[in-house]
Amino acid sequence: MELHCTVNDEKVVLTIAADERLLDVVRDRLGLTGTKQACARGECGACTVLVDGRAVNSCVFLAATLRPEQQVHTVEGLAEESLPLRSAFAHESAFQCGFCTPGQIVSGVALLRQGLPETDSELRHCLSGNICRCTGYASILRALRTAAGREDH
Amino acid sequence: MAIGMSVPDNDWMARTLGQVPFVSDVQLPGMLTAKVLRSPHPHARIVRIGTSAAEAAPGVVGVLTAADLPGITYIHKGGDLSDREPLARSVVRFIGEEVAVVAAETAAQAEGALALIDVRYRRLPSVTSVRDALARGAHTLHSRRLGGNIAMRTESEYGNLDIARGATSTSLSGRYLFGRQAHVCMEPTGALASWDAERERLEVWVTTQAPYFVRQELAHVLDLDVAQVVVHEVAVGGGFGARSKICDSEALAAGLSIKTGRPVLLVLDRAEEFATTKSRHAFDIRLETGVDVDGKLTYRDADVTVENGAYNHSGPSVTKSALGLLASLYRTRSVSLRSRLVDTNRHPGGQFRGYGGPQATFALESQMDELAQLIGKDPIAFRIDNVQRAGDTTHAGWKLGTAGLVECLEAVRAASGWDEKVKRGGSGMGIGVAITAHANAVRAYDIANRSDATVQVGPDGDVTVLFGGADAGTGQRTILAQVAAEELGVEPATIRVVMMDTDLTPFDMGAWSSRGTVMSANAVKRAAQDAAAILRERAAQRLQVSVTQVRLTQAGAASGDCVVPLSDLVGEEQLEVTRSFIADSDMPDPATGSGNAAHSYSFAAQVAEVQVDERSGEIKVLRIFSAHDSGTVLNPLKFEGQVTGGVAMGLGAALTEELVYEGGRLVNPAYVNYGLPRAADLPEIEVISVGAPEPSGPYGAKGVGEIGLQPLPAAIANAVAHAVGIRLRDLPLTPDKVLEGIRARDGAPARTYALWRRPGRWYIAGMRAMYPYGLHHVLHRWGTRLSRTGGDPASTVSRITAPRTLQEAVHELSADKHAAPLAGGTDLVPALDQGISAPRTLVDLRLIPGLSGIRESASGSLRIGAGVTLADLLKHAEGERDSVVAEALRTIATPQVRAVATVGGNLCQEKRCWFFRNGFNCYKRGGWTCPCYAVQGDHRFQHAVVDGHRCQAVTPSDLATVFAALDAVVHIAGKKQERVVPLPGLYSGPGEVALAQDEVVSAVELPGRARDRISRFEKQRLFDGDFAIVSACVSLELDDGGAVVDSRIVLGAVAPTPFRAEAVERALRGTVLRPEGIRSAAQAWVGAAHPLERNGWKVDAACAAVERALLRCLPDREGVPLSGTRRL
Repeated sequence: MELHCTVNDEKVVLTIAADERLLDVVRDRLGLTGTKQACARGECGACTVLVDGRAVNSCVFLAATLRPEQQVHTVEGLAEESLPLRSAFAHESAFQCGFCTPGQIVSGVALLRQGLPETDSELRHCLSGNICRCTGYASILRALRTAAGREDH
Repeated sequence: MAIGMSVPDNDWMARTLGQVPFVSDVQLPGMLTAKVLRSPHPHARIVRIGTSAAEAAPGVVGVLTAADLPGITYIHKGGDLSDREPLARSVVRFIGEEVAVVAAETAAQAEGALALIDVRYRRLPSVTSVRDALARGAHTLHSRRLGGNIAMRTESEYGNLDIARGATSTSLSGRYLFGRQAHVCMEPTGALASWDAERERLEVWVTTQAPYFVRQELAHVLDLDVAQVVVHEVAVGGGFGARSKICDSEALAAGLSIKTGRPVLLVLDRAEEFATTKSRHAFDIRLETGVDVDGKLTYRDADVTVENGAYNHSGPSVTKSALGLLASLYRTRSVSLRSRLVDTNRHPGGQFRGYGGPQATFALESQMDELAQLIGKDPIAFRIDNVQRAGDTTHAGWKLGTAGLVECLEAVRAASGWDEKVKRGGSGMGIGVAITAHANAVRAYDIANRSDATVQVGPDGDVTVLFGGADAGTGQRTILAQVAAEELGVEPATIRVVMMDTDLTPFDMGAWSSRGTVMSANAVKRAAQDAAAILRERAAQRLQVSVTQVRLTQAGAASGDCVVPLSDLVGEEQLEVTRSFIADSDMPDPATGSGNAAHSYSFAAQVAEVQVDERSGEIKVLRIFSAHDSGTVLNPLKFEGQVTGGVAMGLGAALTEELVYEGGRLVNPAYVNYGLPRAADLPEIEVISVGAPEPSGPYGAKGVGEIGLQPLPAAIANAVAHAVGIRLRDLPLTPDKVLEGIRARDGAPARTYALWRRPGRWYIAGMRAMYPYGLHHVLHRWGTRLSRTGGDPASTVSRITAPRTLQEAVHELSADKHAAPLAGGTDLVPALDQGISAPRTLVDLRLIPGLSGIRESASGSLRIGAGVTLADLLKHAEGERDSVVAEALRTIATPQVRAVATVGGNLCQEKRCWFFRNGFNCYKRGGWTCPCYAVQGDHRFQHAVVDGHRCQAVTPSDLATVFAALDAVVHIAGKKQERVVPLPGLYSGPGEVALAQDEVVSAVELPGRARDRISRFEKQRLFDGDFAIVSACVSLELDDGGAVVDSRIVLGAVAPTPFRAEAVERALRGTVLRPEGIRSAAQAWVGAAHPLERNGWKVDAACAAVERALLRCLPDREGVPLSGTRRL
């Protein structure tokens, strides 16, 4: 099938199989290996990308259903926008092994765009789609608050 | 000064963008992808393996079986403990054991070829539990020296047990169970291997914590020289012990690369990761402890039974490590320990953060609390009276240099407000404490007390640290940069750290046994100090000053105002210094593991505060305080990160994490079935460091990587006992165990369901009764052979259409019986992979305008298009009128799923039964001749307690529960007509909808009158984002006097389809809500229950959910009744 879409602000035209997932397209076809596969079932968030600004699991997103006007952003395409957040991740030690981190960053960008919720318990709930086995999440919360410029929580 | 600073990782810019390559990111020209054929049987003889069809399949380049390998077992601990080859040769001993591997041009081709390998098995009797393995006449897995299924037995006695018993005034005994926990590294285990036939060199990139072992074992099993194997540097996505020895994929990728002459990549999928990588060993500890009249410990007597799994790996050393802790945490006059390590036909246990410590700590520290209670002492004071202190030599031979257990206990006592809170037990709120110790850098191998490091200063003055270990996320790389920076006076950020590469780096055994910091930082410190001394000397000569006047800075060597850049001191040739650090430790006693085998010992105390809901069985951990003696802290944020990460793992082990098996097969090999804590499941954690500098540690540091998870399960169990007076000794502390404990505490009678009065249930009751008496065996062994599916059909989707109108869509569906509707895909795409859905054409419904939009009609009804995403519906429902819908939506899955999953898709999603989803050939997959694996398997959480038939699954949709309570009608579009059914009419079975091939759900409509009712939703689950264990939606219409005029009470996840509890509705009618009346009304439905053997607790939990939802309908929490209405 023909795939027409925009990935990281560049037009993409590819011939793909019907059952190819967006994750396969960005990693294998476009060489954007920042997006990681950890579960392939839409359960962990390591493969999170933005589709029209919404964080989605690219491992259960059939690429052929993308429409030409749809915008995909991977972690590479968010490098500049995410710089304050990534810097906060580094300075709060919000990653250890780093495998879930690109997904956390992409989700974090989406969260920061819409504004973080007031309470930490709400913010924790917003992170339920990005599993981290290393940190225990406290540092990720701090990094998000730091990036949002509000450390008063 | 770099030591003691929270220095960030040098490579954070690239790492946070995912640009530091992990194994699956490395690309080599001509690379092939490999997939593994695994044993479907727990125990079988391999009669023959035919590979010719697979070899001839398109894209396949090579197939590897045991016949291609030299027939050498992994070394592991050597001697008769070495018992496993990389591929099964003549016998398979667990489900998932590697039998053959295929390398092909693409992953799909390799996967497809697996089915073409013809393996003939002859089944052997299997022992899939410790009890079976120890039974008289049990079939044995190996020919062990000790006979039977006993891989190891130890017996040791310290002090005189008889005398110690004689001095005892009080004693108690208990049995403590710690189940199997999975590491769940986020990066799946993988290996990329490339054989250079010309140079006869094997290059590998692997997920490892210890390149040393990978190289040594690969050379060994492939019969190569160690020098022929090169391990390269690569990012490693988590270890936690899982990767501290060779894993099971390296030799397979390497063997295939040698055979095909091309690079081969083998990466496990998540289910393989769960089911075949080595888990934490399950421990069963019978412990007896005595105290004298002064409250001093007199003796401990422990019987430790450890499940080894099918092969040895680290079972023997994990067992001995646990014994060491049992004999070492407290001063005790006499300790007597007996252990046995038992082979079973399940995948083997292995190294896991804590290494026997968590299991031993759970037993020890639960029993310490029981003892404290028995003799009427404060748990902290009782511990302080008995803990080991600095200068002690423990029974197991640990020579404690620094030992800050008392300081740890005092710290958590002060931080947690212990003295006040401990007075308030029995109220549902509880506080508990536990302590532990961990031996750092145990000399498990003769050379394990040595670590080497190289420091280079290049011609342009740049500093490089070369180190042979691997950092799988521990922060070791940054610590090493800090150490070199400290000694050389430069900024840590300017230092390059090269690790892992066996061509470039000196000897180190890797990151395990909490040796990362204590060994490697000591080695780097020595190398950097000597490099610094050389630089100072050269600078002193250059500047004509004495060496003591030279200090090293970022700008170079300085004396007064004069600075010489390091590049000037190095010249053309770089300065390179390699030094060894050798820890002063002994080899452990080979029989018992005792001896002063560690570099140092770390200590910790944790306090957990919990709230226990006696009605639902839920334990909510409110706060955790974790105090540590790990010596000097080198990097506070990394230190805190190791502790909070460990605490999260400990919380999982305490409350939710457990690998569940049925017939030797793993039932829950998926994130959605394995309850590891998500962000919202973790409480606030306060981390405290109380360590005194350890003289042998680098800058006074000791290890902290493993200890953080050890005390928590006991601290939580102790807090639960404090809160509600029940003692739980079987991890994890799931709500079923809490409720059973509370029933036992209260002397509640056994539940009865008057089945004799319900002829409609006789058939099912009879079937269930026959399962343990051979029916299950017959259906499993023979019935599945007649099943309608021949294994999992691979995804065959070849076309996706995108109709623009509903008419087009239903036409396309009716024209092709292999077509299926596609909406968000979050259920369908995994289902393709799970082999429970195999459409050829997908009809994408998302472009159809008629399915979108949320509209309010003049009559007040709400029409929700089936294509509306859960996220969009949530946005709409945030308002007052439909807030109950929002309540439910917020509990469903994750933001990523809600962004694309649709209302129609949520209602139509397949059942989530973990047997059905995870490949069991069950009644619903294979047809009526197959068993329902839930009848005898673990059905505590996911299965029906009402109306279960041959299948015990439930409808997973939370929206269905809510919509049923809101009298929703479902609009169904078909080729010929549109029809409208009340929501319950949508369902024909568990997660099964009564839709014809040409029909799709087009909208859901909520009537205005129902929207005006007071409605509340409650859901119980194991982790944030989980499916419901039980849920309840109540919807009430009240008259002016506050009496219930009309109500809907619907229970989710208790029956095959949403269950309307009409008996509760009848009980509520005409009454004014009051808390006590609510409690009895909420139970009015239980006469309909017919639970399975172990999920009766869900009946109580469902009552509790109804009760909570009804209580939230009260105008205020007091629930003051209004006049003129009948009182309950």
